[in-house]
Amino acid sequence: MKNVFRFPSLVSRWLPPGFLLLAFAVFFTAGIHAAAPGPRVQLNVDRTGPRGVEEQTRKAVLRDYGAAWAALGKALDQNRPDQLGDLWVGFARQQFLAAIAQQKSSGLRVRYLDNGHQLDAVFYSPEGSTLELHDTAQLQQELLDGDTVVQSQKGTAHFLVVMTPTADHWQVRILQSVP
Amino acid sequence: MRKQVLIFGAIILGLTRCLWAGDLRVPQKAVVNTAVAVGTQGEGSGTLYLIGPALCFKHAVRLGETVQLTPEDVRTAGVYTAILRSDGNVVSRSFVVSPGPVERMSFLAQPSRVPANARDVITGTVFVLDRRDNLVLAPVPVDFTLTAEDSPIIHRTVDAHEGVAWTRMDSSRRSGNAQFTATSGEASVKRIVQQVAAEPCNLRFHARPAKAAILVETDPVRDCAGNAVPDGMIVTFTDLDPLGKSTVDAVVKKGIAQALLPAARRATISVAAGVVVGNEIHWEGGQ
Repeated sequence: MKNVFRFPSLVSRWLPPGFLLLAFAVFFTAGIHAAAPGPRVQLNVDRTGPRGVEEQTRKAVLRDYGAAWAALGKALDQNRPDQLGDLWVGFARQQFLAAIAQQKSSGLRVRYLDNGHQLDAVFYSPEGSTLELHDTAQLQQELLDGDTVVQSQKGTAHFLVVMTPTADHWQVRILQSVP
Repeated sequence: MRKQVLIFGAIILGLTRCLWAGDLRVPQKAVVNTAVAVGTQGEGSGTLYLIGPALCFKHAVRLGETVQLTPEDVRTAGVYTAILRSDGNVVSRSFVVSPGPVERMSFLAQPSRVPANARDVITGTVFVLDRRDNLVLAPVPVDFTLTAEDSPIIHRTVDAHEGVAWTRMDSSRRSGNAQFTATSGEASVKRIVQQVAAEPCNLRFHARPAKAAILVETDPVRDCAGNAVPDGMIVTFTDLDPLGKSTVDAVVKKGIAQALLPAARRATISVAAGVVVGNEIHWEGGQ
């Protein structure tokens, strides 16, 4: 019986109460940040060519594509172009800046309830500077006129996506909706 | 009997409401940058909402009216949704706006500097775009050509798949600037690829006495195809004499590298550039 591991007594003996409070604060804060970045994203690289997608690249694309959609959702919902951040560039950025400007002038908002993305990488350029993907997204799109929901539509949307890398992350350059 | 009349009346009322309720006519096919008509049906008035990839607006309509979207409104390819709200009813229809023909290209040629006479060292990736920068998804041929002075033209045709085409090319035998061109339809984009001599070949040097030193100088440094190596390449001379070993790095200038080595009565001098080793000279009594 002497060898029974009694966690609470061990903790109270060795760790001061202040440290425990700090540890709990760090644990819960970390949990909140981990949940915040964005929707669930899966990436299949089985039929990518001509270059294979390295594990590090796969993780970075998953992280940044999810974060890009989270940013887009906020930007469209709040009519705030600054929320697009630096994850949307080029043609894709211009497209959403135009959409937000139109939303603002007409008093409309489009809200996305994002239920996840299945990405299939179909082209990765030989020198590793461009990645083309298919995105099958589960989205619920709500159109709001002022605060009134005009229509709410849930379904599967398809996108053709082109991403390019910077020194430390991947940016969405083209997001073209396809039937 | 009274009950039957009530039921019949309710059916008639329902049918009438259905006939009067608004509906939408959207195009079966639409192309970017061309006007699109969205028709409404029914009686009364309502609000037409249009959501597209870069479009979001509302328009008060009298049912039966047709709303014209300008080429500017449908500049982005993708799925559009028209929503009609009238008399508490909401009807929506989706339609697809397809990309236009190829008018632009985004062409990435890499690297910008390559060794001459090497296999598969140049890659070209092209994204084919319409006038409004939408990816053209239908397969279209893209011609890649590499032209350099005194070298045959290298030509390759690749079909773009889902907006992207790519190729690999050999570099030309001669050093100098090569023009790498991608063409599809009316669109054509050029990039310059600098082809430089590869590793030196047959590296040779000679030595002669100078004031209290030995002057060593290479012959013109060239690669195996006869191209002069670019200025700035480092050539290393190594001097092994009874007092020890000394090395001097010299930079190629105008195709030649030269250096002064410490004077010695007897020495063995060699030359190297990178992994390429050149000739060796046995220096005896100042000769």
